[in-house]
Amino acid sequence: MSVSDATTAVTAELAARDDMIVCEGVNKWFGDFQALDGISAVIKEREVVVVLGPSGSGKSTWIRCINRLEVHQEGRIVVDGVELTNDLRNIEKIRSEVGMVFQQFNLFPHLTVLDNITLAPIWVRKKPKRETEELARSLLERVGIPEQAEKYPGQLSGGQQQRVAIARALAMEPRIMLFDEPTSALDPEMIKEVLDVMKELATSGMTMMVVTHEMGFAREVADRVIFMEDGQIVETGTPEHFFTSPEEERTRLFLSQIL
Amino acid sequence: MSNTDQATLAATQARRPPFYRDATVLKWLAQVVALLLVLFTLFFLATQAQGNLEEKKIATGFDFLGTALGSDLGSGIDTDPHTSGRALLSGAVNTIRLAIGGIIAATILGVLVGVGRLSSNWVVKRMCSVFVETMRNIPLLVQIILIFVVIASLPRVEAVGEPIHGWLHLSNKGVSIPRVHISDGFYQWLVFLLIGALVGRWVMRRRLRLHDDTGRETYPVLSFAAVLGAFAAVGWFAHPIFGWVGAIFGLVADIIDSLSQTVVQAVISALAVAAAVWWIRRFLARRRTPAGLTKLTDDDRFRIIFAAAGSAVVIVVAVTVPSLSSVLLDLAGGRGIDWLRFDNGFFGWLSEKFGNGRTGAPIDVKRPDIEQLGNFPNYGPSGLNLTQGLAAVYFGVVLYTAGFIAEIVRGGILAVPKGQTEAAQAVGLRRVTMLRRVILPQAFRVILPPLGNQYLNLTKNTSLAIAIGYTDIVQVGQTVYNQTGKTLEVVAIWMLFYLACSLTISVVVNFFNVRMKIVER
Repeated sequence: MSVSDATTAVTAELAARDDMIVCEGVNKWFGDFQALDGISAVIKEREVVVVLGPSGSGKSTWIRCINRLEVHQEGRIVVDGVELTNDLRNIEKIRSEVGMVFQQFNLFPHLTVLDNITLAPIWVRKKPKRETEELARSLLERVGIPEQAEKYPGQLSGGQQQRVAIARALAMEPRIMLFDEPTSALDPEMIKEVLDVMKELATSGMTMMVVTHEMGFAREVADRVIFMEDGQIVETGTPEHFFTSPEEERTRLFLSQIL
Repeated sequence: MSNTDQATLAATQARRPPFYRDATVLKWLAQVVALLLVLFTLFFLATQAQGNLEEKKIATGFDFLGTALGSDLGSGIDTDPHTSGRALLSGAVNTIRLAIGGIIAATILGVLVGVGRLSSNWVVKRMCSVFVETMRNIPLLVQIILIFVVIASLPRVEAVGEPIHGWLHLSNKGVSIPRVHISDGFYQWLVFLLIGALVGRWVMRRRLRLHDDTGRETYPVLSFAAVLGAFAAVGWFAHPIFGWVGAIFGLVADIIDSLSQTVVQAVISALAVAAAVWWIRRFLARRRTPAGLTKLTDDDRFRIIFAAAGSAVVIVVAVTVPSLSSVLLDLAGGRGIDWLRFDNGFFGWLSEKFGNGRTGAPIDVKRPDIEQLGNFPNYGPSGLNLTQGLAAVYFGVVLYTAGFIAEIVRGGILAVPKGQTEAAQAVGLRRVTMLRRVILPQAFRVILPPLGNQYLNLTKNTSLAIAIGYTDIVQVGQTVYNQTGKTLEVVAIWMLFYLACSLTISVVVNFFNVRMKIVER
């Protein structure tokens, strides 16, 4: 059976047409410690999902499994109809369709802002340099820092760096964006500028999965909130439902601690 | 700010502290005192040494370089040098060969082993670890002697006149492999290669630009190689048409020969002044802001003064030592230097090599041969010979240094934060692209400074050749001072030679270091 046959089969069996991310019984251990414990969830196209939970609850591990920065050991993950397996071709395909923004920005310090953004389109998508640079400039415009194109990451503030990181991810024209605590390493006055960019992205119809502690963002932007604890999904619901009348005791406890 | 405040401020500024509390004055004073101390110490040592030597009736000076030397050298550009100077030159060339060849090989091996230690392949990883630990923990001298002894236990060379059979000959005299000989048409062919490289570069740039504009794969490097290859192929047959190039060099050589010593002294002085002026202007230009010249710090003033003083020293040396200028003239023009057995100066040599009447193939390959000049058969000059001593020193320093370079490379790669790999993976870069574009450029900046140190170490460690009698500059120098008694002079030559090597390496490494720097702020 060829790869495309395999992926079609999976799509038919597991995922409806507008399912972007499908997780089914995902388990992962770090040594003896079970980081993910039977995670099953479906994220639809154009949906914005915020993942909440205390630290160590497996939020980041889960989101990192979705583009194979961590390897899940049991269960299945299907992203846009392609199943994540050891098949390098599938991994490559998924990574080029899933953009990721990290807590620590992880910009390439030896490259200018423009080169940071154009690196992957040029080397992965094999696009002409001139065209990519135009794209990069328009993306910088979109995240509000067109004047920083020629600078190096070390010359920018944290908020500016994170916006460059978002532009870098967008340059691959992904169908899904993953955010792993994008504002946790920022000074308070810079959080808003990054959240604004994310809000704009959400309204433009991007499928987004966001791990964050920004309750305001979750309330305002999320279509759905997923609450995790000890590697399990405890509760899922719309923001109003989740913040006003949570069903689980553990959710209520978490909310009482942070609100 | 009110007027009274300004008045107080002005008064405070006007009141200078006494000189022993004035930081600026003290700083200058300390610099001058330090400089005087150094100069005085040097002067003291020099006069003392000179006095003692005169008292013991030991003549000093470098005249011995031109006197005959009654020794053969085992290997090198000239195994039977007619003067001490020529012998030392031959030894210096041996050392430089060892250093350059050693640096290249040690770098390649070291990088492979260093990356290998990070491999996820268990066998490769273990093998590389064993290599590193073995090389690092056995003294270099022991390794050199070990290799020497191993080669000595190989079968003896049998005397045969004709070229040997096969491509590789291994014996207790070392290793001999076929050698590419530069023959008559080579230099004219070189002109073709040069033009080919220039045209190829032009084509490559055009193809690169085409790639940038369209994203199409345009194979820039491949097209460069194709152009160069085409020129090389045509030049192989057509090279005699460039015979006239030699005449140009001949003309230059004649012009240089007609110059007088005074002209050279004037040119050197002018160059020294020009260099100082250029440096100071560039320095001031860097200190200039849109608002005008920034205030110079004391350090800045020191640098300017030293630049000027440096050029003054060059001029004084050029004027007081006229023989330096005539040596330079001989080296550059067509006269040559007899005691170094240079029949020609640089341009004279070029005019001969590029001249007409050389119509043979540019290069030809010869098999190793064995000849018997004295009592024992040995490898002849037609093969590329790695003699026993050379092999021992070369493999000794290469393996030893590679062990250290491997650790430096491993450390450099590990020093790149994990987030960089993750970010590169997340945007979909493949492994090779990620290494080439993201990891290595960052690792390189950590690797470079200690790598430069290893290059310096390797160069200096080649002096261990003396232990097994390979004719590097130290071994030759020892022969020379045993025969002439000029110990101090030979040591001075050694020191100057190694200093020159080290400074060259430092300059090259620093050049790359500055280029690799990451811009922050």
